[in-house]
Amino acid sequence: MAACTKGFDKFITSLRLLRNLQLQNERFLSTSVCRLAPGNDGQPPKFIPPSKPVIIDKTQTAASLRKFLSPEFIPPRQRTDPFKFFLERKDMIRRRKTLDIPEFYVGSILAVTMADPNANGKTNRFVGICIQRGGKGLGATFVLRNIIDSQGVEICYELYSPRVQKIEVLKLEKRLDDNLMYLRDALPEYSTVDPEMKPAPFSATGDVPVNKIKVRMRPKPWSKRWERPKFNIQGIRFELSLTPEQMEHAQKWAQPWQEYDMLKEYDTSKLEEKILIDVQKELSK
Amino acid sequence: MAVWGCRFLLQRGTRLISPRGAAESPTQFAGCIRTVKTTTWFEEHLTEDNQQYMRKIMAEEYRQQTAEKLNPLKDEPWPRQDWTEGSRRVGLVAVKLGMAPIWTKEGERHVVTMLQVQDCHVLKYLSKEEHNGRSAALIVGGKNVSPFCRSESKLEMCRNAGVPPKQKVTTFAVSDNAIIKPGTPLYAAHFRPGQYVDVTAKSIGKGFQGVMKRWGFGGQPASHGQTKTHRRPGASGPGGDPAKVWKGKKMPGRLGNIYITAFGLKVWRVNTKYNVLYVNGSVPGHRNCVLKVRDTVLPNRNSTLLNPPFPTYFSEEESDLDEDLFDENLCTHTDQSLTLT
Repeated sequence: MAACTKGFDKFITSLRLLRNLQLQNERFLSTSVCRLAPGNDGQPPKFIPPSKPVIIDKTQTAASLRKFLSPEFIPPRQRTDPFKFFLERKDMIRRRKTLDIPEFYVGSILAVTMADPNANGKTNRFVGICIQRGGKGLGATFVLRNIIDSQGVEICYELYSPRVQKIEVLKLEKRLDDNLMYLRDALPEYSTVDPEMKPAPFSATGDVPVNKIKVRMRPKPWSKRWERPKFNIQGIRFELSLTPEQMEHAQKWAQPWQEYDMLKEYDTSKLEEKILIDVQKELSK
Repeated sequence: MAVWGCRFLLQRGTRLISPRGAAESPTQFAGCIRTVKTTTWFEEHLTEDNQQYMRKIMAEEYRQQTAEKLNPLKDEPWPRQDWTEGSRRVGLVAVKLGMAPIWTKEGERHVVTMLQVQDCHVLKYLSKEEHNGRSAALIVGGKNVSPFCRSESKLEMCRNAGVPPKQKVTTFAVSDNAIIKPGTPLYAAHFRPGQYVDVTAKSIGKGFQGVMKRWGFGGQPASHGQTKTHRRPGASGPGGDPAKVWKGKKMPGRLGNIYITAFGLKVWRVNTKYNVLYVNGSVPGHRNCVLKVRDTVLPNRNSTLLNPPFPTYFSEEESDLDEDLFDENLCTHTDQSLTLT
C-alpha cells in the first residue's frame, strides 16, 4: 500500500513538472505563433506591434494589507481614564489621514524627511535603521541609527510631530530583538546604511520577514551589560566576546520567578483587536 | 478591608463553632473582636434585587437631574451684566486626565495637561456679608458621586441647587456683576484658547522626607572621612548670639499633600464636545484628581482676557461653537506638515 502511494506521489510530481514545462512552452510558443499567423494567407506579413509590456515598478512600495496596529495605539497599563487614550487616538487618526505613516518595525530601514530651519533647503532627509520604538499615544517616537563619516548618528523622531514631512520604508523587516540599542556596541558595519538606498520591494501580505542576523560586538566595556538576562538578547554572538564562565556568571541576575508573577501579566490582545477595528473604521472614512 | 474580612470571619467562625461547642477555642478570635465598626452600608439589609434596583434608579435620577439643568436660560436666569475691566468670573472644577504633547506652527513642542470638566454646577451664591465681607462668592461643585459618606450640609446644598452630590465643592470669589444662578452647569468653553488660568490642586504626598528632598539642601560628601553624615541638614543657625533656632527653619518633615496653585498656565485648546481643557505644562496633583481652574490673577496676563463669555458660557446661546477651539499659534492635527523658513 505504502509503495503504491509513493508511486502515486511520484506520478503527481512528474505531472506537475510536465504542466510547468507545458506552461512555459505555451508562453514561448504563443509569441511566435502570433508573429507567424498573418503569413499563412499568402499576403505580405502585416506588422503587428507587440503588446505593450506592463512594467511593474517593484521599487514602488505598496501599502501593507496586513492587520497591523502601530504599538503606540495600545494604552499602557495604568490608572489613567481610558477616555484620555480615546481622545489621543482621535488626534492620532487625524494626523494619519494627512501624513502617511507606514507600517514598520524595529530593524526596518527608514528614510525620514523633516522640516529643519537650519538645513540647506529647509528639509533634512535621514536614512537609518530603526533601533527602538518608544512612547504611547501622541508622544510616540522612534530612533534611527546610521554611521555617517565613520561617526555613529542617532536621531529620535516623533511620529506625530508636524515637522515630519515624509516617512518611507526602504526595507521592511524585523530582527530577533525588539530593541536594537546594542548596535551602539556592535561593529559599525551592522548599523551602516547607504544614504542613497533605493526602496526594496516587500510583499503587502503574509508575515514580515525576520532577519536572523547575529552581530559581532566590539570588545567590552559596553554601554550596558547586554549578556544579562533582563535584556534577553538573541541577536548578539556572545560566544565571540565572552567566555562561557562569563555567560554563566551573567545568569546570576536571572529572575526566573518573574514569569509566574500574575500581576505583571498584561494581555492586550482583546484590547488591540478592538482598537484596530476602531482605527481602521476611522481611517477608511 | 481587612477589618471587614475579620468581622466576616468572626461571624462565620462563631456560627461554625457553635454547633460543635463554644468551648473549643474562643481565644483565636480574640484579636478580631477589638475592631467594632459602626458605619453601615445602604445595602446591608437589602436583598440583591433591591440593591440593583436602588443603584439603577439612583443613577437614572442623577442623569435626569443633570440633563434638566442643561438649559438654565429658559429657567429664569439672574439678570446678566456686561464684561468690564477688573470683573472676576467664576472658575471650574475639573478632573486631571493626563499629559500629551502639542506642536506650535513654528514646530516647537510643548506639553499640555488635559483637564476634563465633568458635571460642574454652581451650587450656591454667597453674598458679600455671608462670604467674607470683601467680595461675593459662588460655591461650585464637580464630578457626581454617591451621596454616602458626604456630610449632610453639603448634600443639602446640592439638593437646594437641584443637582446630584458632588465630589469636590469649592468657593470662587467673584465680582458682583458675575454672579450666576445656582444649578447652572459650567462648561470647558468658559475658558477660551489663548487665555491664562491658575490651577489649584492638592499635590502628591511624599510622606516624611529629609532636607535634601524637601528643601534641596546639598548634603555632605559620600566619602573623605564622613561618619554617619551624608544627607543631614548641617548647622541649624548661628550659635551664642541669637542662642536659638529661628522660626521657619527648613527642616525634615512631611512633603506634599498640600494645596498648591500653578499660576499663569496658557490654555492651548478647548474641546467643547467632551469638555476638555488643554492647559500648558504640568499642574499639581495626581492623575484623576479633582482640581480648581480659574482666570489667572497675574496682573501682566490680564490682557489676554478680552471679552470672555460672561458671566459664563451658556450652551444655547453660542450653539454654533466648533467642536475644537485652538489657539491661533497651534498646529492642529489636520494641518499639512510644516515647512519652516
